[in-house]
Amino acid sequence: KLALIINDLIARTFPCRSNRRQQYVGKVRFSHFDTHLQSSKKVLLATEKNVFAALNTRTGELFWRHVDRTGPEGNIDALLLHGQDAVLVIGNGRLLRSWEINVGGLNWEIVLDSGSFQSACLVGYQGTVKHVAVLKKASISLHYLSNGHQKWVENLPESETVDYQAVYSGGNGDVYALGVVPHSHITVVSYNVEDGEINKQVILIFHLIAKEMLACVDSSTASLYMLDLHVQSQMTQIPLQSLGLEVDPGFQPALVSTQPNPARPPLSEFFLQLGPEQHLLLQLNNGQIVVLRDFKPAILVSFATTGEKTVVAVMSPKNKTACSVNLFSAESGRRLLDTTLIFNMDPNGGKPEKLYVQTFLKKDDSVGYRVMVQTEDQTLTLIQQPGRVMWTREEALSDVVTMEMVDLPLTGTQAELEGEFGKKADGLMSMVLKRLSSQLILLQAWISHLWKLFYDARKPRSLVKNDVTIENLSRDEFNLQKMMIMVTASGKLFGIDSKTGSILWKHYLDNIPSNAAFKLMVQRTTAHFPHPPQCTLLIKDKDTGLATLHVFNPIFGKKSHITPPTLPQPILQSLILPLMDQDYAKVLLLIDDQYKVSAFPSTKNVLQQLQEMASSIFFYLVDSSQGRLCGYRLRTDLSTELIWEVIIPTEVQRIVSVKGKRPNEHVHSQGRVMGDRSVLYKYLNPNLLAVVTESTDLHQERSFIGILLIDGVTGRIFHEAVQRKARGPVHVVHSENWVVYEYWSTKSRRNEFSVIELYEGMELYNSSVFSSLDRPHAPQVLQQSYIFPSSISTMEATLTEKGITSRHLLIGLPSGGILSLPKMFLDPRRPEIVSEQSREENLIPYSPELLIRTEWFINYNQTVSRVRGIYTAPSGLESTCLVVAYGLDIYQTRVYPSKQFDVLKDDYDYMLISSVLFALFFATMISKRLAEVKLLNRAWR
Amino acid sequence: MASPGGQGAGALSTRGGSAARRMKWALELSLGNTRSRSERQGGQGDVIYPIGYSEKPVPDTSIQETDKNLVEKRCWDVALGPLKQIPMNLFIMYMSGNTISIFPIMMVCMMAWRPIQALMSMSATFKLLESSSQQWLQGLVYLIGNLLGSALAIYKCQSMGLLPTHSSDWLAFIEPPQRMEIMGGGMVL
Repeated sequence: KLALIINDLIARTFPCRSNRRQQYVGKVRFSHFDTHLQSSKKVLLATEKNVFAALNTRTGELFWRHVDRTGPEGNIDALLLHGQDAVLVIGNGRLLRSWEINVGGLNWEIVLDSGSFQSACLVGYQGTVKHVAVLKKASISLHYLSNGHQKWVENLPESETVDYQAVYSGGNGDVYALGVVPHSHITVVSYNVEDGEINKQVILIFHLIAKEMLACVDSSTASLYMLDLHVQSQMTQIPLQSLGLEVDPGFQPALVSTQPNPARPPLSEFFLQLGPEQHLLLQLNNGQIVVLRDFKPAILVSFATTGEKTVVAVMSPKNKTACSVNLFSAESGRRLLDTTLIFNMDPNGGKPEKLYVQTFLKKDDSVGYRVMVQTEDQTLTLIQQPGRVMWTREEALSDVVTMEMVDLPLTGTQAELEGEFGKKADGLMSMVLKRLSSQLILLQAWISHLWKLFYDARKPRSLVKNDVTIENLSRDEFNLQKMMIMVTASGKLFGIDSKTGSILWKHYLDNIPSNAAFKLMVQRTTAHFPHPPQCTLLIKDKDTGLATLHVFNPIFGKKSHITPPTLPQPILQSLILPLMDQDYAKVLLLIDDQYKVSAFPSTKNVLQQLQEMASSIFFYLVDSSQGRLCGYRLRTDLSTELIWEVIIPTEVQRIVSVKGKRPNEHVHSQGRVMGDRSVLYKYLNPNLLAVVTESTDLHQERSFIGILLIDGVTGRIFHEAVQRKARGPVHVVHSENWVVYEYWSTKSRRNEFSVIELYEGMELYNSSVFSSLDRPHAPQVLQQSYIFPSSISTMEATLTEKGITSRHLLIGLPSGGILSLPKMFLDPRRPEIVSEQSREENLIPYSPELLIRTEWFINYNQTVSRVRGIYTAPSGLESTCLVVAYGLDIYQTRVYPSKQFDVLKDDYDYMLISSVLFALFFATMISKRLAEVKLLNRAWR
Repeated sequence: MASPGGQGAGALSTRGGSAARRMKWALELSLGNTRSRSERQGGQGDVIYPIGYSEKPVPDTSIQETDKNLVEKRCWDVALGPLKQIPMNLFIMYMSGNTISIFPIMMVCMMAWRPIQALMSMSATFKLLESSSQQWLQGLVYLIGNLLGSALAIYKCQSMGLLPTHSSDWLAFIEPPQRMEIMGGGMVL
């Protein structure tokens, strides 16, 4: 029994293979609930990430997802849903696609004529919808919904002067194209569905539809204009004042209408938005506008139709943390009973931005509904009455900009106590007491942890709960579980548990400019117990250059009580020093555009340390717009002096990227053992930078890429290589004594890898200290290139605790695979002719092709779409490296570049080994006793 | 452990010194080079004879020149023993090759261990050689033989690459150098 428990305990401590993928879609642009079946559980989303997906409305999981090309080529311009078919216009009117929404299969795809896309709509005729009309800049075309074939295409009259904006069909056999000539008139062209002949052409005024009438609102005259498309009479102008309405100053009024069935005319009710929080439900009744209801305050409104009933959902703010949603009848504007739904806003989230309503008929013929709310922080929430959140999707995670991994605190209790001990204590006695008490708490927590472990071990494994919350967060034995801090482009920060992938905290930063640059730094880790860990996020607005600091606790996501300094000057770069203040926070230096340096934290102690260290603090700045690389030295008064400068003329080439070494990288072996057992010492310059340039001339005969190895302290250039007839994008990894980069060779039309390794030679110049200022000998440079069969999206090297484990390159492929390529294959010492010595060294003979072996894919069949970055972090086990790949999806796994040499195998037979050990032990005891007896007997004989 | 056969002669004093190494016990009356085993058998079989009686005629106990020569010869045998083993060792060395596997390792261990063991028990060997007139010369030869044997073992280790004589063998002990400058920065954000 005891042995079993011990075995179980041991088995528990060994890491099981864990990899997790989370799939995202991005910020929603168009969304439709699938309504062709009452019981349907689908919601279709077309997003700004060029993703078209169907979600399960019950769970929020993906049914299917189609990822199109990035950039404007795959941009989804329109989503039209009819029955089981979803029609998409893609790439500014380049493609028209129809998807079958049940399984997500492609029905058809056709290439449209060139021309920039304006609008699309479904065209119904005689009660059925058979066509889709696409309006472009200069033409209008009608396509069959069943196969996409073009029925007719017509050029729009006067398309040079008229800006055609909308296309509309009322179900009566006509398709209307509406064009505007600014400050002049409106053109309405009506086409016959059957042959595309122009029925009528009306030249009048502006945009939106309500029952065969064109209605538009003009802010300059504060009037509503109406036009009957059939009668073509003069525009009727209805001043808003006549309805007793007032437009908010500076607000552009807008109209929202609905057409529940494309084969039938739209409803006569429509919304008029007069201010950010004011919506009006208007009805057009025999050419007269009637105000049905004034919703004030109302943030969001939406129409929804089920069966024959059309309702409007109105979201109005209730208090600071909640909003309420109510249903109103569209015909009468009356409120429907028992339809209130409370939406609780996350205090760390954003405001609601879009409202999508799914309605259904209940058994008693009343209308039930669910709402999907999209907030500013790109969170999608589906809520059911009376406010139960069915699921939440954090779509901000589809755009992770930067991330870090932080060790978890030893125990949850310890983390909780941090706040209490965070305050500074003075005096020796109190310090001792503080230390003692904290140690005592640690001990207690450790014992309780052990006890829990022991207790859990006796239970069957399935019963042990594995849900992670902030309270029970604690580091595991091998530090395999860490906190991933992810910064997304929308300005939302996430704390994600790396083991389960669950989001433990999130924090939305308001007022993040859309083109902000982020830099995340860990100032204090969890190792300094009473002090809470501390991360600092530098957010820089690229337009103004001004930056702000957000200081937070990476474990809980709470904003720190430390007030970051206000930065009046534009910030160029930041630099985290290994120096610590008395609270063990690493010092962050910020360099402003006057090349002055400010420190954070900037206590007296820190400033004093900085003054002492100033002469050995250097930093470099790379300005790619001017092609300048500069090195600066810190002066004691925190100003800087320029010590070197390299100009790369921007007319010829531009600097694409600069890669230094990772500060937490350890190199265990200082050299390589040759075949004759001598040592070739590595050139391990921590200040080395790899600068990659691309030529501005992109002609395939003249384009080139350059790589420059430069010392960041002295500005000394060690190596310069130019790859002619090559083109970017260049992906670089710089680690230890090697640089690996990948480029496209325009001459041979293939992707190539190149590796540069630096060696000091057979003798070390100075083995105890490394100073860039005192290294007279230039390193030996070796280089080799290889052909790689695929293009790549991103590249990173594995990282382990002590650097003993061999290195692998993790390569994100556009196909969604993540390849773990042993660095051994990228070794410039690979010989062309095999000799005894090279065999002794285990060098693989040179072959120009690098093969992709399928067993090197670390994500198996779990495709990671659009990998943009790979983050690696060491774990407590030397053999294990934690890997996070992020892009549209997030994927977390562990890799073992040299296999799990420090872990017993999963199938290790503890039972057998321990029983053999025990058996041998007892056998020894018994035989010893027997031998004694025998000897005694013999002595008596 | 006294053997049962030796109990009868237990009362008899055994010869000390070098002889004790090779013979557990011997009758004082039967001097010479006869093997103790045959004597033991003789003693067991002829219990009827009184103590001290020998069937064989008592040899002349006076030391003769030939005996001395025999002792000398025997001592030279002892002294030259290690040297004689060297050709054999060379042969084994040649046969076992330079690969590192269990048998060559065992051979090398044996080769290295035997001379070391012999050198450790030098004093005992010297006592054995006490009776010889050329004691010091023989001791020297014995020493040289053993030293040669161990040198051979070391050479074997060297050729197998077991000796840490290369710089690569000390590579793991080189500490990473301490960096003197702190550097950071990057692209202008």
